[in-house]
Amino acid sequence: MRYAAQRAGIGVLQLGVLLVLVFALSEALPGDAAYVRFGEQATLDDIGALRTRLGLDAPAYERFLSWAGGLFTGDLGASLVSGAPVAETLTRALPVTLVLTVVTLLIVVPLAGVIGTVAGLREGSRLDRALSTLTLSLQSIPDFVLAIALITVFALQLRWLPATAIGADATTLLTAPALLVLPVLVLLARTTCLLGRQVRAGVIGALHSEYVAHARRLGLPRHVILLRHVLPNAVVPAVQELARVGDGLLGGVLVVEAVFAIPGVATEVVDAVQARDVPVVQSLVLLLGAAALLINLAADLAAHRLVPRTETRR
Amino acid sequence: MRARAVAPAIMLAVPLLAAVLGPLLAGAVTAADGPPYAPAGGSYPLGTDGLGRDVLGVLLRGGGSTLVVAIGAVAVAYLLGGAAGLIAASARRRAVDEALLRPLDILLAVPSLLLISVVAVWWRAEAWAIGLIVAVLHAPATARLVRAAALDAASGPVAEALALQGEPWWRIQLGYVRRAVLRPVAADVGTRVTAAVYLIASVNFLGLGLDPTSADWAVAIAHNRGALLLQPWSVLAPAAMIVLFTVGLNLLWDTMTDSTAAR
Amino acid sequence: MSNAWSRRGFLTLSAATGVTALVGCGAGEQPEASASPVRGGRLRALFPGGGEKETLDPHVPPLFLDQARHKAIFDKLTELGHDMQPVPRLAESWEPNADATVWRFTLRDASFHDGRKLTPDDVLFSLARIMDPADTTRPAKSLLANLDLANSRAAGANVVELAVKVPTAELPVLLAGTGNAIVPAGYGDPAKAVGTGPFSLVSFERGRSMVARRFDGFWGGPAHLDELHLISAGDETARGNALAAGEAEYAHDMSAVYARTNENNPAVRIVAAEGAVAQSFAMRTNAAPFDNPDARLALRLLADRQRLIDVAFSGRAVLGNDLFGKGFRYFADDLPQRTRDVDQAKSLLARAGLTGATIPLHTSEAAAGMVTAATLLAEQAKEAGLTLEVRPRAKETYFADILNGGPGLWSYRAGSMPVTQDLALRMVSSAKQNITAWNDPAFDAACTTAQSTTDDTARTGLYHDVQAILHDRGGLLVWGHSDWLIATAQRLHGVEAARPNTVDWARFDQVWLA
Repeated sequence: MRYAAQRAGIGVLQLGVLLVLVFALSEALPGDAAYVRFGEQATLDDIGALRTRLGLDAPAYERFLSWAGGLFTGDLGASLVSGAPVAETLTRALPVTLVLTVVTLLIVVPLAGVIGTVAGLREGSRLDRALSTLTLSLQSIPDFVLAIALITVFALQLRWLPATAIGADATTLLTAPALLVLPVLVLLARTTCLLGRQVRAGVIGALHSEYVAHARRLGLPRHVILLRHVLPNAVVPAVQELARVGDGLLGGVLVVEAVFAIPGVATEVVDAVQARDVPVVQSLVLLLGAAALLINLAADLAAHRLVPRTETRR
Repeated sequence: MRARAVAPAIMLAVPLLAAVLGPLLAGAVTAADGPPYAPAGGSYPLGTDGLGRDVLGVLLRGGGSTLVVAIGAVAVAYLLGGAAGLIAASARRRAVDEALLRPLDILLAVPSLLLISVVAVWWRAEAWAIGLIVAVLHAPATARLVRAAALDAASGPVAEALALQGEPWWRIQLGYVRRAVLRPVAADVGTRVTAAVYLIASVNFLGLGLDPTSADWAVAIAHNRGALLLQPWSVLAPAAMIVLFTVGLNLLWDTMTDSTAAR
Repeated sequence: MSNAWSRRGFLTLSAATGVTALVGCGAGEQPEASASPVRGGRLRALFPGGGEKETLDPHVPPLFLDQARHKAIFDKLTELGHDMQPVPRLAESWEPNADATVWRFTLRDASFHDGRKLTPDDVLFSLARIMDPADTTRPAKSLLANLDLANSRAAGANVVELAVKVPTAELPVLLAGTGNAIVPAGYGDPAKAVGTGPFSLVSFERGRSMVARRFDGFWGGPAHLDELHLISAGDETARGNALAAGEAEYAHDMSAVYARTNENNPAVRIVAAEGAVAQSFAMRTNAAPFDNPDARLALRLLADRQRLIDVAFSGRAVLGNDLFGKGFRYFADDLPQRTRDVDQAKSLLARAGLTGATIPLHTSEAAAGMVTAATLLAEQAKEAGLTLEVRPRAKETYFADILNGGPGLWSYRAGSMPVTQDLALRMVSSAKQNITAWNDPAFDAACTTAQSTTDDTARTGLYHDVQAILHDRGGLLVWGHSDWLIATAQRLHGVEAARPNTVDWARFDQVWLA
């Protein structure tokens, strides 16, 4: 428990450093929100006037502090471009990305579990090798190559599935699941393979372990050994792997949202970076960073339980 | 090498040779520029791209920016992360461990493409800069891996036995632990290079990396994507190169590490 | 690729306003134009999105998507026809006083979506809102800089008198500029978008979509469609894929490569507005090497314009002659077309001491074809021993960077704009977008004289001379005027091939699904 509290504290600190880092990076980008606002219609007078109006003349640290100060009252600030509260952007973009990722995770976990267990239980068999080769290959194909291939074949040639999810929101995605098929397939390919291989390794590791050998000597039925001893032990490394899967998934979401024109969080981040809309970038990074930290924290706690370091050292 | 490794090795050799020898051959092979997106045939075995350039010539010049940079980035990641991980694991004080690892964790907390999308706007079009970002992004993971392996070994029965026998701490670290760390590192390198290629290719595909007339394979895919149905080779050829490399490397590494583990 | 020219087909449809502005109509081809309009249906139109930039406020600097949005919901007093001359919209007619300092606009009998009638007060309120000194993001403000609001007034139930501080023969043209929509008096909350346009707002989600419904009380007669969906759709490939897969019926801003890919696709129709975008390189005339007219002329002689057009736009462009505004009123059509002459360029470079020199060429992916053209120009310049060092720059900041621009060449493009406005905006020394840093007192004086000349023949002659100066020694290398491409589903009819900024562009009250 103390360890968990400690880690959570460190996590908050990390988040703070991350925000300062991202702010510094956004400041270092060429141009600011006023400079890029007018596009082809830009004139230097307009840029200067807008810069003053947006308060971009103020020193960087002041702008950062005023944004960070708002956090304590739950205020994420307002977009420099639209003037709308960042919370509005979040409520618009987040559900779409959540639908994508949650649907993917809901399929990944059982699918990877089954593939990994089946392969692990038949280690070295032809089935195991076939699954291994398949998962390794699929895992190695970049998202964008897979996405282009799937769109070309299933949407443009066969016309079985939509090519894009243009203009969709979370509700349309859920009510018209056909829209989700290709994007989720792309997201699944890599994550399932990563996780499946980890489960397989865990199962094999558990099967070769002392206590399973002991359980076998005791004559416990096969399914009891599998359910009570092998799987629980195989799950731990898989949980840790979820952290990596999470990163892969978020990277995948960026590509998938771009290729399928899905207006989610990743699209907003890219747009906001291009518009130099610092409050929006900051808030989205805060959100994604917090999510990633939570996953890492969970993985750390799992590892801590596995190898309690304070006892083994000294 | 096992028979199973032959096919992956061949898969891997094609893009590697193209990346390493391609630039030397390109000058002799490349046909003069023609109309944009000319179909394959005649003096253009793979047709031309959107700039009217010979796709074969572009293909031969476009491997380095992804493959060489990725391999370099992983090497740098291991230099940085490995050092930090080893020191962290062998540190007697908990505070040293924390001080070394926690800052790196910050990077681990950011989705890598997200960070790149912010940083890349700044340093765009520089292959070395992209490589450096990828190295920095991979450093925390390598640090964790090395630390975990070293820690496992250091807190395992062998190390304890060595310690009980009165072996000095540093000799245990340099002798036993170092060897114990090499194996998981070797197993990791293959997937890590794949991941780096994957990341660099995604960055270039999203238009966050090299400039759009670069010969880079992923840039070529992004740039010619709109002409997939018009001149398929301009997309398929570079895509095949990337896929052959990543799939080949992963499969090869799998069979290699499998056979070493079995021994 | 020249066969691209014979391949375009679009429908002729008599516009309700009587303005049938057909641009570059491929004579002789009339694909099933006889079909008569069908009422009903939902049109899904895809435009490049703008994320947080998107807005319902018609007075804010617009993206193309926003311009289409505002055109559906609002109207302006005037719009521009295909030749960039004003055509009536909410203003039925107009006349100036003798010295063009007071203009009388007679308003049409039009209703807002909430049932109220259009009055002169709405016009005056809208103009005041545009001119609001507290707001810096109203693009029409600089167009209307000479408007004298204090002395403008309602002159009857349907007449509004607009006063200007200096004689302005071009006021109806200026009122057609972007960001000049007429909103109801008291309009404040952009979310409550009430206009006089053919569609009334149902819902709007920034960065995603807008839904609008047919407004049966539209002054131009009700639209054919029941519903209009304007959808933000990322990159061009996504729009093309969505159209090809039947997920939309209209895709704006498509590439020449897309058009080429779908030339023989029966499901997709390409609508091309010819010569809509001037493609150019801007030479900074205020610093070496382009402060030397020989260097400028050498570059213009080095460009292989046809090759640039063939590669960067798959042949879908007409040759440029180093001037903007080709095909518009006052354009100096009779100046000789500049062609490639490497030998003369070499001797000019030698005279300027630039043989073997290296010059920076700034470019960006900010607009289609720019990087491609820059890369090609660099190759073409090599033939004269000149090295153009291509420097790609961030697309977000590019058009502002040009204004702060360093020496050398800059890729540049310009949309359709009346010749007179273009000169005032980009060419006179005090211009806000003086991209070539052009500063020539004789030229400035000639521009001023032309502007204040009311006799049209004399005016045309003066504008010709002004352009001759630019053609002779100016800083622009305009190599082509590319098509503006729209792709539609085969079942969408009535889409006009109109350039952006003109009345028939993105006009959805005239289209129907069948």
